[in-house]
Amino acid sequence: MSSPTARYPVCKVEDLKSEGRIITTVKGVEVGIFSVGDRYYAWRNMCPHGAAPVCEGVVCGTRLPSLVYEYKYGREQEILRCPWHGWEFDLTTGRHLVDQDVKLRGYPVEVAEGQLYLVM
Amino acid sequence: MAKPRIIDADVHNAIAQPKDLLPYLPRAWHSYWLSAGPAYGGGWVSPISVLRKDAKTDDGGMPGSDPHYMLKHHFEKYGIDYGILTGSGILGISVNPNPDYANVLASAYNDWLIETWMKASPVYKGSILINHSDPQAAAKEIDRMAKHKDMVQVIMCSASRMLYGQRFFHPIYEAAERNGLPVAFHPGTEGRGISGPPTPSGYPTSYFEWHNILPINYMAHVNSLVCEGVFEKFPKLKVVAIEGGIAWLPHLMWRMDKNYKGLRDQVPWLKRLPSEYILEHIRLTTQPIEEPRNSEHLNQILDMVDAGRTVMFSSDYPHWDFDNPRMALAPIRKDLRSRILADNAMELYGLQDVPDSSPLATESSEGGVRP
Ligand code: FES
Repeated sequence: MSSPTARYPVCKVEDLKSEGRIITTVKGVEVGIFSVGDRYYAWRNMCPHGAAPVCEGVVCGTRLPSLVYEYKYGREQEILRCPWHGWEFDLTTGRHLVDQDVKLRGYPVEVAEGQLYLVM
Repeated sequence: MAKPRIIDADVHNAIAQPKDLLPYLPRAWHSYWLSAGPAYGGGWVSPISVLRKDAKTDDGGMPGSDPHYMLKHHFEKYGIDYGILTGSGILGISVNPNPDYANVLASAYNDWLIETWMKASPVYKGSILINHSDPQAAAKEIDRMAKHKDMVQVIMCSASRMLYGQRFFHPIYEAAERNGLPVAFHPGTEGRGISGPPTPSGYPTSYFEWHNILPINYMAHVNSLVCEGVFEKFPKLKVVAIEGGIAWLPHLMWRMDKNYKGLRDQVPWLKRLPSEYILEHIRLTTQPIEEPRNSEHLNQILDMVDAGRTVMFSSDYPHWDFDNPRMALAPIRKDLRSRILADNAMELYGLQDVPDSSPLATESSEGGVRP
């Protein structure tokens, strides 16, 4: 049986905006909170590949699929790269860019009066 | 005393600051080292850098550069009893064009290693760095350093001008055998300095392309070591092919055995099938372990190379392609896994008991407490 969900205050929106990301522990689980534009995402700090602390990775853009010898840059600040093997995850969906079946575990985030809450 | 559970056969200890090496380096080379570093040039740039982003030391120093931080961040975290240190950023001195510089750097590095790492904890075991482009000097360095009981192997880069079986290198093997040490080689400098291009047809374009194909150099060296009779000449010698992959080996062994049946008279000094020399004398490390879609295929490959005696676990900490022992070996069958995690390295390096600092060392297997 899963335990009932509750809202946990994790940080102030302005702190997240100024620090770029916040890694915190909720119910014994390490979670990284990210903001992309004006939306917020929370991902478990555990890479599905080799269990690296994935949320400590670089937040960046990437080269988009293109024609041979063409380079197109995009998705600035929407990609999280694992600090170990460099797997690229879409911060907005948690999915690996190459293998859509590989996903970060995510949690809903709610905002009220400048405070971010994690629903777990 | 308890036996080790995990031995990590490839851990990279870095020099925190270039000036740290000066006390060990002849004065005549100080300014050269400070301005040029190891100076073997070239190389491919990894888009995600070679060092793990989460492995900076507590005070923001280079990953791998602090022995005390590494104990916490790597050894204690994963329950690793011993780590074989393989150096960082200096392995390629053998492909520096100046053999005199490479020789003094090797000696300085080895002295620094003893002072800085061996003294920090008994979990650290060292590899004697040599300059393989001057085999006589390398043999002397092996004799000089082998006196330290914490130095458990000889190491050189896998990039080279010549194939490793050739007689030019034999003084190195003779010295290693004389001192009872295995000789390891480690990739990463292929195509740099005075080494040949990393493929017989030249230079790959990207780091990705270059990294994919590193095992071809390993195939070439292992083939050469066997065919040139190195293991007939030095029957006690063991060679550790670090970080070169595993899955290519069955292919090479079968090809060599098949050709041996027809072409044996070109290598009349070989008394056994080439694959038998390989399984007896070559040791491989796991990282970066192959990750086939069907993990059973990995077990099949491990069986083909008799992994229960030939393969040792390695993490490559703190490099980007680090393997976590809890995850990376999960697909491997249990009976093989314990051999790979510790037993094969225990036997090769003579590390029978856990070191004194290990939590296991304070309780005997009977449950009593050691004095
Ligand atoms: S552990 Fe994250 S990419 Fe391998």
